[in-house]
Amino acid sequence: MEEKIGVYVCECGPNIAEKVDIERVLAAVSSIEGVAVAERYKLLCSEEGKKFLKENIEKHGLTHLVVAACSPKQHELTFMNVCEEAGLNPYLFQLANIREQCAWIIEDKDEATEKAIRYVRAAISRVRYHIPLEKKEIEANPDVLVIGAGVAGIEASLLLASRARKVYLVERESSIGGKVKGFAQLFPRMESASALLEPKIKQVVENKNIELMTESEVEQLLGFFGNFVVTVRKKGGEERELNVGAVVVATGLQEFDVSGLPQYGYGKVDNVYTAGEFERMNSPDGPTQGKVLLKDGRAPRSVAIIHCVGRQEKGYCSRVCCLYSLKLAQYLKSKIPEVQVCQFYSDLCLPGKPYQRFYEETKGKGVDFIRAEKVEISEGEGGVAVNYSSESGRLEVRNFDMVILATAMEPAHGSAKLAEILNIGRGVEGFFIEEHEKLGPVSTSLEGIYIAGCAQGPKGISESIVQAEAAAGKILASLVPGRKLEPEVKVSEISEAFCIGCKTCISVCAYNAITFDELRRISVVNEVLCRGCGNCAAACPSGAARHRHFTFRQIYHELMETLR
Amino acid sequence: MSDPKKEGEGLKGAAFSGGKSSLETVLGFLKRTLAEGCFDALLLPVKAPGGDSFPYVLVQDKALLEDRGSPLPPIMPVQGGKAVSSLTRRGKAPRKVAALMRPCEVRATIELFKLAQVDLENIFLISIDCPGVLPVKDFAADPEKGMAAFGEVLEKWGDRKVRPVCQICHRFTAPLSDDGAGMVVDLHIGLLGIEDGEVLLIPYSPAGEEILAKLDLVPAAGGDILSAWRDRANELTKKRGEERRRAQEEMKSKVRGLNNLLETFDKCINCHNCMRVCPVCYCRLCYFDSEAVKHPPDDYLRRAGDWGSIRFLPDTILFQVGRMSHMSLSCVSCGTCEDACPMDIPVAQVFSLVADEAQEYFGYLPGRSTDEPIPLATYKEEELEEVEDAPQGASSETKEKDG
Repeated sequence: MEEKIGVYVCECGPNIAEKVDIERVLAAVSSIEGVAVAERYKLLCSEEGKKFLKENIEKHGLTHLVVAACSPKQHELTFMNVCEEAGLNPYLFQLANIREQCAWIIEDKDEATEKAIRYVRAAISRVRYHIPLEKKEIEANPDVLVIGAGVAGIEASLLLASRARKVYLVERESSIGGKVKGFAQLFPRMESASALLEPKIKQVVENKNIELMTESEVEQLLGFFGNFVVTVRKKGGEERELNVGAVVVATGLQEFDVSGLPQYGYGKVDNVYTAGEFERMNSPDGPTQGKVLLKDGRAPRSVAIIHCVGRQEKGYCSRVCCLYSLKLAQYLKSKIPEVQVCQFYSDLCLPGKPYQRFYEETKGKGVDFIRAEKVEISEGEGGVAVNYSSESGRLEVRNFDMVILATAMEPAHGSAKLAEILNIGRGVEGFFIEEHEKLGPVSTSLEGIYIAGCAQGPKGISESIVQAEAAAGKILASLVPGRKLEPEVKVSEISEAFCIGCKTCISVCAYNAITFDELRRISVVNEVLCRGCGNCAAACPSGAARHRHFTFRQIYHELMETLR
Repeated sequence: MSDPKKEGEGLKGAAFSGGKSSLETVLGFLKRTLAEGCFDALLLPVKAPGGDSFPYVLVQDKALLEDRGSPLPPIMPVQGGKAVSSLTRRGKAPRKVAALMRPCEVRATIELFKLAQVDLENIFLISIDCPGVLPVKDFAADPEKGMAAFGEVLEKWGDRKVRPVCQICHRFTAPLSDDGAGMVVDLHIGLLGIEDGEVLLIPYSPAGEEILAKLDLVPAAGGDILSAWRDRANELTKKRGEERRRAQEEMKSKVRGLNNLLETFDKCINCHNCMRVCPVCYCRLCYFDSEAVKHPPDDYLRRAGDWGSIRFLPDTILFQVGRMSHMSLSCVSCGTCEDACPMDIPVAQVFSLVADEAQEYFGYLPGRSTDEPIPLATYKEEELEEVEDAPQGASSETKEKDG
């Protein structure tokens, strides 16, 4: 069939028209062999523009389409859809970006025009070698994997299950409830933690749509949104493969390990506890049945609570330490009314509706607040000495019976490994990183994997629940039962004739999409898992790995024309 | 195969003698390993019946080993890495095989192992001090003269008669540092600085130690022979390093820039022999032999139109540069490419120059370790910063060095 390439230059309103001499571009490319038509249009992405393109493809019987306009990120899909509507395979299309890469960045109109001409010529040269690729449709799996059964994981599971979704709730501990399970009361209303948590746990256990897998960990995740294949291993060996469409990561936090900071005397000076340990002491099923006791069995007469332990080392504020420190003071005051409680803080962080009042209420119970820096804990006369630098800069010492360290939050142990398994990113602090701080707070860089609760960063229970609900909502809205998914068709393939089995491609594949066929001793691409990043094609020295839409020929001709 | 010795254990060596010459002693040692059942077969160069070549042969017959085994042949008609790959590419050797090779061949073997072209299980690697080899063409022209010439080479330990890349080789022996790190090998045979008839057996892995123990050889740390070998090897390494730098600077001035590069490879007849003999060119079909680089006539006409003319066969320089980019990080400067060039292009001298710089850039040394990934298939985030921050063509490391 005779080649009929249509070239359409978009004016993009004034964006391109004012910066690129479109007439010159058209003149330069219209006589190229195979170009049947070269025209301009004021806004190709508009409804009229799309109609114009569709009619032109049909009218001229175009075999290939080149559009010179904006970035492919913006409208490649738009124009591919136009091709499809006009009966032209959407992969026989090439978009030349003459807006971001020419019009917007080059002051001189002549230079911008010259560059645009090269880009359009390159696109024409490349599009000739495009191969019509066929789209595929696969079923999407509406089931969901939730990793971590703390408050966030539980909340997400319950919400998903309420819409008849099958949820696999994986928890590495033997019981569920996460960190909150160890709390006695919750700030600011000081209600019982178990009163809030137990009904939720019961709902999870009784819900037929939730399959709870305790003492289990995720070992592998392959696939993509709508079609993940997850391997979960139960402690002691048993391995299970699950098929899910989406994943919620709610792996929570752990307490910062203060033993690395000798100035706090932790582990060396008696009656120095971390907030977590003190919390357990207050819990009715804790080691002291809820009684606050010193090591010698007496009740403390004075207690210091040290804020911001680990903030400098971690490089972030853990957001809830000030608030839980107030809570710990309230525990003390309600159990030992005459106890003297002193909070050593550097900045008080009390954001949000109810917390200022909570602070004043706590202060009103006779809790002292001392602004201090350079806090050091040592063995004191008949107790624990808190050495600190006061607001005026003087070095002071005060003795207490007990010291509680309000430690920072850090990501739960194993987060790095999990990030690797799930192929999602972590920030410098080690927490899983959201797709966008404001616009995608519970999404990740990988479609279909969401984060909720402290796995994403330090936060309180209410915010964790908000995130869990958001993640569940995202999944319910996007992963609709019966909806078909279209996997990427611009993927890689490996030629059996060329492959020598060096496995270089396997080592560079970011999606675990290449396996080694031991029998034939060659690498094989799983087309459903492949995302078409092209790493393997670039790394393969033999040219055995090939990207279907970035073939050597396509790139070669595109480059030759750009550089000519 | 196992990793090099742990740091601080120090090098140990066992003296071994019994032959009239050192090479005869090596044969005697190898014979004993077969007799004691240390190995089921040996892979080593064997003199061809006509006396004009030295192919690798898998030997089980002690008489053949004694008659024609050549632990240090005068030429390298086949790179040992390629021989080990031919033996084990389809799977591990079912019984124990010791492969005796020159250090550059051992390094190539390790590179091929990383590229899944060699299976090291049941393969025991032995390296030997190497004085270099003669150009294969010189030897083939007159083998008798070649044998005499190589005798001189062995005596003087390095000579202008060996190939140019051998003259500037600074990795002709096993690692000399106490931790033994720098090359993966099980046992090294030291010849340098040792009296004729005697050799030094230096284990570099637990497997190497086991073999010596099996033969009732007790390697000792320190000792006169070990320090004599080490001193001589150190001295020569230093000297060769200087010569290498000098020769490479000279070569650089000859090949730098596109025009010089084109001129250097002008004679190329596109036979691709260099690629065929290269141990680390392991592709089933070279990309440059494939249909992917054959274009329709209008394409060539267009190119001729653009540039005024186009040379046929096309892509001669593209092949050279392409091959360079594919293999230079694993290049062991063995020189077989240059031996194989019918047009006497200094292929190995150019390639090893590029290889040295590329390897230095990535802090990579081929053959150093079995688990050090080949740089182009790995990604380190800090490398991106390095490229961003460093002036063109310099890594931050070299930048620091240059002050």
